[in-house]
Amino acid sequence: MTVNRKAVPWIILGAAAVVAILAWKPTVLIYGVQRAGLYASVAIPMALVLGIVHIVNLAHGEIMMVSAYLTYNIARSIGLDPWLALLPVALVMGIMGYFIFQLTIRHTLKAPELNQLILTFGIAITMTQAISLIFTPQTRKLPLSYVSMSATIGETSFGVYDFVYVAIALLMGFGIKWFLSNTRMGKAAVAVGQNPRGAAIVGIDVMKTYVFIFTVSVILVGMTGSVFMTRQSIFPYVGSPYTMKSFSLVAMAGIGSISGIIYSSLLLGIAEAAINGIRGASGWSGIVFFLIIIIVIAVRAYKGRKL
Amino acid sequence: MARIETKSLTKQFGGLVAVKNVSFSLSSGEILGIIGPNGAGKTTFINLISGIYYPTSGSVFLDGRDISTMPAHERARRGIARTYQLIHPMESLDVLENVMIGFIFAAGKSLPEARKSAESLCAEIGLSQLHRSVSQLTMLETKKMEIAHALANGPTILFLDEVMAGLNSDETKAMIGLVQRLAKERNLAVGVVEHVMGVIRELTHRVIVLEAGELIAEGPYEEVSKNPRVIEAYLGGAA
Amino acid sequence: MKKPANYIFPLALIFAGGLLPVFLGAYPQAVARSVFTFMALAISWDMLLRSGQISFGIAGFFGLGSYTAIILSVRAGVAPVVAMLSAAAFAALVAFLLGFLVLRLRSTYFSITTLALGEIFKVIIHNWSSFTGGPEGLVLPQVVFGGKSSSLYWLSYAILLFAVGASVLFEKSKMHFSLTAIRNNEIAARTSGINIFANLLIAFTASSLIQGLVGGVHVMSYGFAMPDTAFDANYTLLPLAMALLGGIHSTWGPIIGALLLGVISEYLKLMIPYGHLLVYGLIIILVILFMPRGIYGLIKKERSKRNG
Repeated sequence: MTVNRKAVPWIILGAAAVVAILAWKPTVLIYGVQRAGLYASVAIPMALVLGIVHIVNLAHGEIMMVSAYLTYNIARSIGLDPWLALLPVALVMGIMGYFIFQLTIRHTLKAPELNQLILTFGIAITMTQAISLIFTPQTRKLPLSYVSMSATIGETSFGVYDFVYVAIALLMGFGIKWFLSNTRMGKAAVAVGQNPRGAAIVGIDVMKTYVFIFTVSVILVGMTGSVFMTRQSIFPYVGSPYTMKSFSLVAMAGIGSISGIIYSSLLLGIAEAAINGIRGASGWSGIVFFLIIIIVIAVRAYKGRKL
Repeated sequence: MARIETKSLTKQFGGLVAVKNVSFSLSSGEILGIIGPNGAGKTTFINLISGIYYPTSGSVFLDGRDISTMPAHERARRGIARTYQLIHPMESLDVLENVMIGFIFAAGKSLPEARKSAESLCAEIGLSQLHRSVSQLTMLETKKMEIAHALANGPTILFLDEVMAGLNSDETKAMIGLVQRLAKERNLAVGVVEHVMGVIRELTHRVIVLEAGELIAEGPYEEVSKNPRVIEAYLGGAA
Repeated sequence: MKKPANYIFPLALIFAGGLLPVFLGAYPQAVARSVFTFMALAISWDMLLRSGQISFGIAGFFGLGSYTAIILSVRAGVAPVVAMLSAAAFAALVAFLLGFLVLRLRSTYFSITTLALGEIFKVIIHNWSSFTGGPEGLVLPQVVFGGKSSSLYWLSYAILLFAVGASVLFEKSKMHFSLTAIRNNEIAARTSGINIFANLLIAFTASSLIQGLVGGVHVMSYGFAMPDTAFDANYTLLPLAMALLGGIHSTWGPIIGALLLGVISEYLKLMIPYGHLLVYGLIIILVILFMPRGIYGLIKKERSKRNG
């Protein structure tokens, strides 16, 4: 990895912040990194679709929510551990993703962006409402003992289970990067993302690529949903904030940058955890996210960079 | 007297220099051809003059006043108008309404006034059935509407970006006559980007040649067309 | 062009709307008020949409208006009418100031930022407990007009007419040309002398003013505000679906859509306690796929076929 000279002050600043947080409350750093893992593992599949299919999927978080409900019900009905349910869930989500694309999104690809935005918004609402209708708005949670594993370093003890998100995010990030640069299909997808017409001219089936990438992204965020289910209480609206947060992270990272998402997630995850760490301020942590995002987007817009 | 002038005008996009150090001037009543191979920076040059882009360095002057950072809509109000190579008319508005826009916003007329002015301009240019949707227009009508759309600003300076492209030879002839008539009657300073050299020869008083963003030749068409550097630029582009 | 028939139908409709409380009982009046509320929001959303900018911030400005009105009433004891007008003014002011930031953004970036702004308003109100009442919210000592049903009806009807008037003004004035030009081709609009930012700022401020006003009136009529109800995502969702179904880029579209969906959802709410908004989601999907111009778009198309 090459280090950009412009990045040096930022790296120093970041390092200083890390040291300061460690001195103040080490758990903030730990929980921040865990949070960042969750954000990144939800946002990366969205970035994949945005980078290649050029669709902002406003149902992204809701797809995760549907997958979480699916996992929950498999776990409840046949007693399968969510981690084992991951594979059948992935299969079902893949089929769902395929049909969502073929039945709806495909038909708006040539329409103005407004149509795609509103269409996926409609899909999001349909999902939350359908789940409300079937399962009621009541929150649900599985009693899993392993999620409360904790570790103690020195005098601080903290939950370690959430590090699985970090592992998932890294696995997903590196996996996608590897796929895009080393496989035939992946290279074709990159070509489609950069220039669909050109890709079509050299014989790449653009629509097939779109279907494939969209389906993969639904499977990935679906799998994140299964894991999400093991830890969090779920309810029909649980996915909605993740749509917005994912989009914000993708916007902050710059379209197509997967490593950018990891850095952005770290910044926001730790910032949120820091606010949560201040006594009596935890209610404000939601605002940090949006403020930083708005500042970043606005600064970009003012610099005249094409968004 | 020079109405519009540029001095060392330069526009850079990241590493790409689209327009480099171009100085030119254009006077009232004059029709100037802007030629050059594809990607020479002709459209970018017009974008800089009309205010779509601001220059990286160098300046644009209108009647001696530096307007380099003046927003496009203010330049339109001060008499600069242009057409677009890729025409995207306002598809939600009909033909008349498309032409009204410049009268309303650049010329500052009220809606009824703008409607009247647009009707008479369309009649002058030869556009009829003004309540059609713009998608029903023929190529020639689309081009005429594009010109009417620009003239509605009430410009004294007009840039035409490939208005002849896609027209057959009769239509091209008619269009040349139209542009010449309009330029004369309104004493316009006109800049014309065109690929067909016959059009340039017939229409323009003077040409400038851009290659890779730089101005490489200037003068009457007959003279410039014999310039070895110009010939090489075109052949080099074709080879 | 100006046939009297063009005016008679809308005027008769306005008149009939005003007379309804004479014939209707309290429950239908309450339903009508809720329909009017969403109708005004749908119209206000469409006014900005005509420039091509999709706002997801309706609930944000609605909530901001609600809280402005209730805070002024509870903390400063101002008269209800002042509270409601202040709600409009404050929402407009906030939109005007934030406009300098968000109106540089386009498409999804604009949409998501408006959504984020709404969230920020909500978080602030949620946490600034000493002033806003926090999560428990605020309660008015007394609702406006002592809760008299017909008066409340006329109040919300007046607000609706105000929104309709603003929207018609946009349609009949220069704004129609500038917003449509910005939506169709922003660059060509600039070189035709249109100040893009100024026009967007007017549209954004006006649409937020209406949203704030509707919020203020709503809170004064119902007597309480909590962050979760005042900033309820449904205030964004329902108007959007209504305008889409009825037909965007028009005044009639949101009116038709709100009437249809408002009445249907009132019925469904009684039938299905949770998830009745499923219908909204499905309608959005179906309209986008099969009828992107909405009902009014179809009517217009039929009419122009018949006339020409």
